[in-house]
Amino acid sequence: MDNVVRILFNSLQTGAVYALAALGIVLIFRAGKVTNFAQGMIGTFNAYVAAVFFRWLGWSIWAAVPIALVTAFITGVVIDKIFIRPAQNSKPMHKQIITLGIIMILTGIIPFIFGVDPIRLGRFFPTGGVDILGTTLRFNTMFTVALSVALMGAIFWFIQYTRWGLAIRVTASNKVTSQLMGVPTNTVTMMAWATAAMLGALAGIIIAPQSSVNPTFMLDVQVSAFFAAVFGGLQTFFGPVFAAFIIALARNSAMFYLSDIWGNAIVYILILLFLYFKPYGLFGEAPVEKV
Amino acid sequence: MTEKTNSTITKNTIITFFKERPWAQYILFGVLLSSIAFLPQIGVMRNSTMSIFALIIIYTIAAFGLNLLLGFSALISLATAGFIGGGALGIGIFLNMGLPFEVAVLLVILSGIVIGAFIGILSLKSQGIYLAITTLFVQEILRQIYTSVGIFGGERIDIGTITILGGIELNRFNFAHRSIIFLILIAVMVIIMIIFRNLIKSRSGRAFMAMSRSKSAAAAMGVNIMKYRVYAFIIATVFAMLAGVLYAMYYQSAPTRAWTLDLSLLLLAMVVAGGFKSVFGMFLGAFVVYGIPTLFLEDIFGDVSEIFAGLLIILVVLFYPQGLIHSGPDIKKGFKKIVGLFRKKEVTQDE
Repeated sequence: MDNVVRILFNSLQTGAVYALAALGIVLIFRAGKVTNFAQGMIGTFNAYVAAVFFRWLGWSIWAAVPIALVTAFITGVVIDKIFIRPAQNSKPMHKQIITLGIIMILTGIIPFIFGVDPIRLGRFFPTGGVDILGTTLRFNTMFTVALSVALMGAIFWFIQYTRWGLAIRVTASNKVTSQLMGVPTNTVTMMAWATAAMLGALAGIIIAPQSSVNPTFMLDVQVSAFFAAVFGGLQTFFGPVFAAFIIALARNSAMFYLSDIWGNAIVYILILLFLYFKPYGLFGEAPVEKV
Repeated sequence: MTEKTNSTITKNTIITFFKERPWAQYILFGVLLSSIAFLPQIGVMRNSTMSIFALIIIYTIAAFGLNLLLGFSALISLATAGFIGGGALGIGIFLNMGLPFEVAVLLVILSGIVIGAFIGILSLKSQGIYLAITTLFVQEILRQIYTSVGIFGGERIDIGTITILGGIELNRFNFAHRSIIFLILIAVMVIIMIIFRNLIKSRSGRAFMAMSRSKSAAAAMGVNIMKYRVYAFIIATVFAMLAGVLYAMYYQSAPTRAWTLDLSLLLLAMVVAGGFKSVFGMFLGAFVVYGIPTLFLEDIFGDVSEIFAGLLIILVVLFYPQGLIHSGPDIKKGFKKIVGLFRKKEVTQDE
């Protein structure tokens, strides 16, 4: 019983991380038709910022994280302004390659600013927890999961019930028409990039204490977030978030009960089979193709 | 006067000869490229530089497969690196089992056909980003297999000296042998260029093109979508696996951890930067995306080469969305402008 509970708690945390990253990917995909391969790298870059303030300058994590979120916001805006907007009339494929270029640029910049050694980042609550059914639920896990869920809830509310959320939804559904209707689509896309960068940075900050901040520590998050986005279906904002938690739970259970090496692969194969029968994900629908 | 006209006539015949016969262009290109094999022998070029060119050729071959998917059929695959790894590791295993080289290559190609068909069937229903992520699943599963299955042996598979055609031994630590392997790589690349060109000018090539514009329209015109999708994936997989075989042949060892998403993305960048639907574009793309950063930028800029490589890719995509291969007219124009400037200066100096 305590194993089940422990797997559940772990999955909640990793699921929250994947969900944050996946939501960022979906936001950018919907607002600008860009498949953002750089989501993980942008998160890594800004997790470095938090780690530098935390470790080198000795700030409290509570002060370092907001600064990292601000730099993430700036990163998102800069990337959109410099690289994405000039390419807004390019094909989706070309925009994907541009995000690949962004990965290379950030990978090149990181050793210059932050050095080559991995930096450790602390938890929000280093100690303490509650015993539930024989397993310790850390305060840190509780806090990060609550924060992620609250944040994602706020974003869903924002998209669904505010004027700007409406702008995001119409931009996602048809960019040209919404431009004609007076929606500032450029600003919407820029905000999508900024928000996605912040979500990525937060995902990085939450997962960082499990290993350390280094150039490749978010690779797994990046790949899993993609999987969640497709498994959930990119046509909804809600689907990928839901799928992220499912993937985390399935992977953790498979790794515990079946095989710690092959757990990942087994879950991937299952999802592949699922996608064969429902190619547009759990909640997605096949787009109508016009000739 | 007559001499001049004679020379222009011969020049024109040569140009038309090559324009009418693309295979002759490819062979000429291969011959020109093979000069690189002799440069280290006479001490003009370092052996490591030749190795970079070898890797460019290997990537070019894999890029042809990806080009067929991406440029001609509008299918995107992120599993190319996994297939290259499959070719390299597969040939390593077969050779270590004691099979002759030729049999091992045949077995690798056969397994490429099987895997390609499997992915082709798997991909039948999805499009665009969904298809890309489907292949990313395959890539991750392959990576897991390479790093965790015992027969792939931990960090790398050592192959050592290879024996081809029943008796010719080639060892990469012998520099003359290494140049011979380099020539073999070029020969394979030229053959693949010719095959690729013939393929895209054939009935199948037209079917791929029709499919890339609109799946439904192509189906309405009588193109069997399932057949050609599977076909495209099989060819792409076999090309990538051949690239892996050549990698194993040149480096004579196959690492297990090198076949990641990063490499797949790099290959994607090569195809896009070089130019869809073009033959020489693939080599140009591999040269620009992999060759220029490793050959020149690293020497000039040192640690920042990665930043410049990223910027380079972005600039190419922004300014030459059709691929660098179409930059020819612009370069000509720029060249004429520069020449014009010099001429003007001469004139003013004369005055």
